[in-house]
Amino acid sequence: MRRYELMVILDPDLEERTVAPSLDQFLSVIRNSGGSVEKVDIWGRRRLAYEIKKKPDGIYAVIDLNAEPDVVKELDRQLNLNEAVLRTKLIRPDQR
Amino acid sequence: MAKPPARKPKKKVCVFCKEKISYVDYKDTSLLRKFISDRGKIRARRVTGNCTQHQRDIATAVKTSREVALLPYTSTAR
Repeated sequence: MRRYELMVILDPDLEERTVAPSLDQFLSVIRNSGGSVEKVDIWGRRRLAYEIKKKPDGIYAVIDLNAEPDVVKELDRQLNLNEAVLRTKLIRPDQR
Repeated sequence: MAKPPARKPKKKVCVFCKEKISYVDYKDTSLLRKFISDRGKIRARRVTGNCTQHQRDIATAVKTSREVALLPYTSTAR
């Protein structure tokens, strides 16, 4: 088990109310395979420093989780397949 | 001709060592902005006065921050 921090940038055209449930749906992969989701922090709409897919802003979310490497890889793959996800960034904060 | 007075280089202390911060967070843009120029470039160590290790931590933090569009790769200020 490793600690991960996942940052997701979502499409700004999404309704902000629907963000939490749809993220939860993605995170069920983690829960179903023995991992745990520590914290989901939705920053909300924020201006991007540069355009991604011609969009000037995005909805940021930061997720802290514990899981096996393979599971997290699968989560990242699924997120990237989704059209509503502009970008993902997975880091291990403990790694020095 | 009088020589210009020799500049005494003021020894700067690394802010991170002083504050005993071990992890530089890529999400803390207000902190990271102090270490980039108005063009968006990472400031050199001789400018910031950071130690080797922390300068490296800042550099990686700025780079991850750029990847998630929190900081610009370039900015067209001026």
